[in-house]
Amino acid sequence: MGASPDWGRAADYDDVSGRVAIVGIGETAYTKASGRTAREIGAEAAERAIADAGLEPADVDGLTYNGAFADFDVAAFHEHFGTSHEIWSSPWGGGMSWAGTAPYLAAQAIGAGEARHVLNVFPVAWATQRASMTGGPGEVHAAQSLKQNLEVPFGWFPQPVYFATIMRRHMIEFGTTEEQFGAVAVACRRHANLNPDAVMHGKPMSMADYLASPYLADPLRLFDSCLISDGGAAYVTTSIERARDLPRPPVVVQGVAEGLSGSGTHWSQQADFTSTPQVFSAPAAFGTAGLGPADVDVLTVYDPFTVVSLMQIEDMGFCPKGEAGRFVEGDTLFHDAGKLPFNTHGGLLSHAYVLGIAHVVEVVEQLRGTAAAQVPNCEVGVYGGYTGAHASTLILSRDR
Amino acid sequence: MAITRADFPLPDVDDSLTAGFFAAPARGELCIPRCEECGRWCWYPPETQPPHEARGPAGGRRSRPEEQQVCPACEGPLVWTRTAGRARLFSWAVVQRAFLPAFADMVPFVTALVALEEDPAVRIVTYVVDAVPGSLHGGMPLEVVFRPLRFPTVPDRQVVVPMFRPVA
Repeated sequence: MGASPDWGRAADYDDVSGRVAIVGIGETAYTKASGRTAREIGAEAAERAIADAGLEPADVDGLTYNGAFADFDVAAFHEHFGTSHEIWSSPWGGGMSWAGTAPYLAAQAIGAGEARHVLNVFPVAWATQRASMTGGPGEVHAAQSLKQNLEVPFGWFPQPVYFATIMRRHMIEFGTTEEQFGAVAVACRRHANLNPDAVMHGKPMSMADYLASPYLADPLRLFDSCLISDGGAAYVTTSIERARDLPRPPVVVQGVAEGLSGSGTHWSQQADFTSTPQVFSAPAAFGTAGLGPADVDVLTVYDPFTVVSLMQIEDMGFCPKGEAGRFVEGDTLFHDAGKLPFNTHGGLLSHAYVLGIAHVVEVVEQLRGTAAAQVPNCEVGVYGGYTGAHASTLILSRDR
Repeated sequence: MAITRADFPLPDVDDSLTAGFFAAPARGELCIPRCEECGRWCWYPPETQPPHEARGPAGGRRSRPEEQQVCPACEGPLVWTRTAGRARLFSWAVVQRAFLPAFADMVPFVTALVALEEDPAVRIVTYVVDAVPGSLHGGMPLEVVFRPLRFPTVPDRQVVVPMFRPVA
């Protein structure tokens, strides 16, 4: 291995390997515009996760959510469940990269005696809200002054345009082809067609369909892009000892790490334009887990665009840098035949755009053996989270 | 968090962090902040505090003190410095879909990242003009041109900005 690149770093995390497990999961319906609020969706996901864990709402004494959205915080929890007990909470959970690091927060809170059962919730209603957002999910970016002055006026906005240029650069540097990006989209759609909960269930897509889909920003096509959805999910984390008393088979947290890009959300300025902060987080997480990429039976990664999947597959060490295009060709990513079963629920591209929370739930389902597109003999699963500025690596396993 | 500035998506030429960039075209110049002490080109203009510390709890816009910007490497003073106006094409996209109403009449257009000749680590977001998209290739030499940027959604207002074209 060469010297670690200098454009980012791994966050300083303690080793929590083997200390906590995910014991309950809950999902809402995943849909186009539903007319529901994110808060309602969050409450439903929470209710289902708590029930799945065999717990009562009053047993939940820890809550992690995304502070920037704050759709399902402690006040919302009490309002929905009619409870009033003390709840430890952190706004640094929820979805995206934090869907992968929330179990670390839970482990720290549980280890410190602050909480016993920690719920992580993330709902989104962007399909319903889309019309009122400037640039859709790009709105939060448009509000930043450097982007407002140096990027948006020059047409480099929103995310499909950023990632079109990242895609182009991946093609320039590594010779990646359109069909190789298409292989990711086709594999995700294949899995969505095996999953009745997926928004794109019943809508098959071939490579020819992919290549016929219109460009949003050449080289990026409509079918390289995630959906816009309403939906949410939640999961409950507790100590490994407590987990063994609960009804579901524990899914054990073996490693968690977070990588940070020095250029933050200014993608345009990241020195290594075709990499993600997975280059910092994945080695750290695999290190604490005592595992490597070859041990992974199922991988889900935050996949807003096909190029983000290729970059994370490279950056997590499943193939050398620049070779993900060739790596994903054929059946590599298929749940039943591939050497790296990938986004087996359909991903953000074809399952639902709920920002990674369903990716973690899918890994749990795979390790329980209850996934719609079940990977045979699945023992180790990994979630790769991503925001641009951050990446997370969450390594889960069956209780061995 | 909807954008309320009436001239959006034109740049806010008075924003102190980037005012030097938008003042330079009137002099026919492409200017980038450079450290007077160590000579380093500093792009994007460094914010006085790291963004994650400067951001308020609600992600609101922070106040921007009109103080001297300093080099993140040596803390020397940064000065908007003229460049030769040459760059190489780092990456680009041919935007087909107008993601904001302001761009509806402009599509398709080429938005690009270009690497400054003086320091390729300086990556400028710009338009590539006077070129057929199919003729573009990674690393091709470009030169700056100054063109007015106008949007039909912002009547009676324009800002002259740096764009790039292939070197003849």
